[in-house]
Amino acid sequence: MVAHRLVVASLLIFCLAGSCNGEVQFSSLKRTLDVTASPKPGQVLEGGVDKITVTWALNKSLPAGTDSAYKTIKVKLCYAPISQKDRAWRKTEDKLSRDKTCQHKLVSKPYDASNKTVQRFEWLIERDVPKATYFVRAYAYDSNDVELAYGQTTDPNKTTNLFQIDAISGRHASLDICSVCFSVFSVVSLFFFFFLEKRKAKAYSSKN
Amino acid sequence: MDLEFPAAAAVNEPEQQKFALPVDSEHKSTVFRLYSIAKPHMRAFHLSWISFFSCFVSSFAAPPLLPIIRDNLNLTATDIGNAGVASVSGAVFARVAMGTACDLVGPRLASASLILLTAPFVYFTSIINSATSYLLVRFFTGFSLATFVSTQFWMSSMFSAPVVGSANGFAGGWGNLGGGATQLIMPLVFSLIRDIGAAQFTAWRIAFFVPAMFQMLTAFSILIFGQDMPDGNFHRLKKSGDKPKDEFSRVLYHGVTNYRGWILALTYGYCFGVELTIDNIIAEYFYDRFNLKLHTAGIIAGSFGLANIFSRPGGGYISDVISKSFGMRGRLWALWLCQTLAGVFCIILGLVGSLSVSVVVMLIFSVFVQAACGMTFGIVPFVSRRSLGVISGMTGGGGNVGAVVTQLIFFKGSRFSKERGITLMGLMIILCTLPLCLIYFPQWGGMFCGPSSKKVTEEDYYMAEWDSKEKEKGSHHASLKFADNSRSERGRKQNATTEPTEEITPPHV
Repeated sequence: MVAHRLVVASLLIFCLAGSCNGEVQFSSLKRTLDVTASPKPGQVLEGGVDKITVTWALNKSLPAGTDSAYKTIKVKLCYAPISQKDRAWRKTEDKLSRDKTCQHKLVSKPYDASNKTVQRFEWLIERDVPKATYFVRAYAYDSNDVELAYGQTTDPNKTTNLFQIDAISGRHASLDICSVCFSVFSVVSLFFFFFLEKRKAKAYSSKN
Repeated sequence: MDLEFPAAAAVNEPEQQKFALPVDSEHKSTVFRLYSIAKPHMRAFHLSWISFFSCFVSSFAAPPLLPIIRDNLNLTATDIGNAGVASVSGAVFARVAMGTACDLVGPRLASASLILLTAPFVYFTSIINSATSYLLVRFFTGFSLATFVSTQFWMSSMFSAPVVGSANGFAGGWGNLGGGATQLIMPLVFSLIRDIGAAQFTAWRIAFFVPAMFQMLTAFSILIFGQDMPDGNFHRLKKSGDKPKDEFSRVLYHGVTNYRGWILALTYGYCFGVELTIDNIIAEYFYDRFNLKLHTAGIIAGSFGLANIFSRPGGGYISDVISKSFGMRGRLWALWLCQTLAGVFCIILGLVGSLSVSVVVMLIFSVFVQAACGMTFGIVPFVSRRSLGVISGMTGGGGNVGAVVTQLIFFKGSRFSKERGITLMGLMIILCTLPLCLIYFPQWGGMFCGPSSKKVTEEDYYMAEWDSKEKEKGSHHASLKFADNSRSERGRKQNATTEPTEEITPPHV
């Protein structure tokens, strides 16, 4: 009987744990991490060139044991509201599985609750990061990769301490030149064909 | 696909040796052999569908790469929507202009010119840097969709009445395929280039050289291997006097004043226009409503366009088969029925909530709407002979107008959810197909009326486009030949009771 109940109970727990994965809501997470990022408010950084240094640690004022379940920390680059406007592909949703606010991962590091020192990481801004206004957020995950808590560099309304990244354009001088050359060739070849046609027609009518 | 026109063998026996395929008195092929590249008929077919395919690939090359492009250029949803409308609106007037150009300089020069003049804009897509420049390149690239008109004109010049529906259907359908193929080609080319080592924001730019070069090469092929009419090119035919030079204003007048052209423009707006609209919105619809990955949504979107490989040609073929028994009246009824059913399935598509049922309904809808496009161009070649290009252009342009209007009413901003928009679009399809009842050919009849009791002949109908002065000059002979060859549109019952064509031999110039 006890074994039967144990099986049912553990099944229930596994099911809940499984369904939890997709059902975690941002509003249920506690803000327990202190996260800082090196860019100053309003600073403009260059993609592919500049670096961002991020630090994270558990907030000192919280009771011990808050972070006992944290196993991994993932630090992400997130879009500020101004860069989400009229862009449904960057929409903020409470259900984390559908949330598209934070699309660029800076780093994923294992978390050691006994290590009280501030963790830091230096990230070279990748070349595929688009031009937008950002802030930095770190999520704490448990051993099942389920979000437990977070921390971010901005306030809850995401209005302070935002910085901008200027993306690479992706253009190169060689591309520009090729593009123009082929276009000119396209138009010139058309007129060349016209000229050939006229000559053929003249030759035909002079023969007859 | 081998359909013979019985009376053709009696006429033109000595000239038949010149051609690989059996021809009628206008030297148009009376059979449609898909696997042949015989000069000039089947060669023209393959050149025209491949070039039209390349234009479709170029015009819709951006949508599958939008997730990358929108981040590179910092586009908003409004920018993307506007560019989508711009991409199909350029062709509205381009198609009408193309129709006139075909009538005047021939489909070979007209289409090759357009393709070579729009290729630069596909190259320029590689160097754009803002929302405005994105809109401009999509707008000008979209002009190339006018090659549809030259395709249909060319097929109508090369293939005879019993097979013209099939020829037009295959050429149009296999060209439209480009809209589906590009959803698969562009992401593939992009990831290939990115994996070689280019940054994302550079890789998509390089990827655009592929459709641009393909487009350019098809134009060269048309100029080198193509021929306007079975007997030669316009330029040479004009110089030798075999093709009299026609007057632009008269050609335009007879096209624009034929009410049937306007009705077909409206109904085509609600089969082809709907097809273009779906090409632009369906990937997003599946992505948002059913939470699919962008990649999966793209494959579903692509399959809508890929159905064109058989559905549009199928429509053209069915139109031809029905006309053998029921003539033009059968073609009209078939088109009305097919397009109305498309509207019904469109309404259902917006109402179903499960993914698998949605995909099935979408595929059924795609078959009906594309078949309707094929059937429309089984009717267009008969509306006018003198102004065939203008009528083709008006109908084709009407298709694009339908796309612009539909996207603006139902799919811009957030007035309607996408599913509500799709259902309303289905309703609009049914309403805008009704005017087909008003089309009436005095020599053949309409949907509800038989041919005129005054015994109007095909010659009377097509000769009405020429005045006596022009007839004196002998400009009307091509139309006379066509009138003779179009007698098959009376249907089997009528054909059996009328005199065989040997009695009325077209005068030889």
